[in-house]
Amino acid sequence: MIRMFHVYKNYPNKIQALRDINIHIKKGEFVFLVGPTGAGKTTFLKLIYRGIVPTKGQVIVDGINIARLKPGYIPYLRRNIGIVFQDFKLLYDRTVYENISFGLKAIGATNFEIRQQVKKVLNLVGLEHKKKIKPHLLSGGEQQKLCIARAIANEPLILLTDEPTGNLDPYTSWEIMKLLFHINIRGTTIIMASHDKLMIDKAKKRVVRVERGRVIEDTQRGTY
Amino acid sequence: MIFENMRFYFREALLSFRRSALMSMATILSITTILLIVGIFILISVNLNLFLENLESQLEIIVYLEENISTTELNTLTENFNSINGIKEVNFVSKEEAYQRLSKDLGEQKDILSAIEKNPLPASFEIRIKEPKMIEQIANQITKFIKVEEVEYGQETAEKLLNFTYIFRRAGMLVLVLLVFASILIISNIIKITVYARRNEIEIMSLVGATSWFVKWPFIIEGFLQGFISSVLSTIILYNFYFFAINIVHQAIPFLPLVVDSVDLLPIGLAIVLLGSLVGILGSMFSVGKYLNV
Repeated sequence: MIRMFHVYKNYPNKIQALRDINIHIKKGEFVFLVGPTGAGKTTFLKLIYRGIVPTKGQVIVDGINIARLKPGYIPYLRRNIGIVFQDFKLLYDRTVYENISFGLKAIGATNFEIRQQVKKVLNLVGLEHKKKIKPHLLSGGEQQKLCIARAIANEPLILLTDEPTGNLDPYTSWEIMKLLFHINIRGTTIIMASHDKLMIDKAKKRVVRVERGRVIEDTQRGTY
Repeated sequence: MIFENMRFYFREALLSFRRSALMSMATILSITTILLIVGIFILISVNLNLFLENLESQLEIIVYLEENISTTELNTLTENFNSINGIKEVNFVSKEEAYQRLSKDLGEQKDILSAIEKNPLPASFEIRIKEPKMIEQIANQITKFIKVEEVEYGQETAEKLLNFTYIFRRAGMLVLVLLVFASILIISNIIKITVYARRNEIEIMSLVGATSWFVKWPFIIEGFLQGFISSVLSTIILYNFYFFAINIVHQAIPFLPLVVDSVDLLPIGLAIVLLGSLVGILGSMFSVGKYLNV
């Protein structure tokens, strides 16, 4: 599903964010991306959704070389990738329902499809009864669930999550994790950047450790 | 599909108008103010131009004729004048008429004329021209005609006047261009701020896989509406203010030539509406583009 060959990423201020990354993530895998702040985790995720292009090397996502992708095709790549951010990135002037329907409308879904899909994902994350309220009235955990619902609404092949449990209490974090496992079981490849030792140790999934821009450890059923 | 999308874009634009009503109002008021300033300047320069034209139209060529001119020669000369391009009006002043005018001009001192036995004044033609710039060329042409004694057009005064109007017009044009340019910059910056306030929305849309045009359309429509409403508003204020102002000016200086026909002002209104709408559209289009590259 995702392959990286000798990938380097330098930022304009000469910071080497990633150095010689080689990785293969198969379809349906659940991968934790761990490492200290500034290790290059977010850069790694950005390369996958083509938020940036590599300075050197190849990134192949679902058979597409993202460095060679013309700007006009980026939206179509992103329709196969759901993204969940630590800071939620929700639209606070719209309802829970509109936050999801807005993304679906953006990719050309019909009104009927939108109604069906929004209902389905809200049921999945347990927010169906709150669809008419605005996100600022939701708790942190609920807002994160809404983010996940928005990210999976168009049934993407890949779900990227950047520290989704970063601001949540352990109980809510585990709820989010269970939700992500559930989505993973249904076939979505998930890459989750995280610092959450407790969750990672409990999950027993593949752990890729990044430090100073390099992959220094890649273990199946790893720990933090 | 396209129709359905357009409906969505319009709904989104109107919704965003409603969601940020205060911001939209502030934007419209700011753009209206700027367009008002541009409009006031245009109105002033249009009237100034009319005044200059009026001044230029006072320029005339006086052709003094020789004493012994016959009626046939006079007719030939009139025909010759008519064959010259650029002449607006030809007025013949006979010897007698010239004498009467002089005596009228002298008023109480007209008795001086009784000292003169014979009317010394020559017959003449007063010629008004269409294009003031051509005055010298036409005057030179007339000098060559038969039975023309002298051609006078106040060469120095005419040159000074034409130089003055030329500089005035050019300066006015320059200020207008600068003002329009500044207003374009200010309006597009105001719009940039409204787009900046919604950069999150643009980023999210781009991340969920919306095409750039899908993201841009509601903003373009909103930018157009902001520009259009502001420009219509400023045009209405401008027209009312203008007719109120010229009434006052007319009372103070009755002979001052002013543009009073509202049909003549229509192109100015249209230009302002076009300027506002276009800057609204382009400003939002470019501003959104800046936040799309995530």
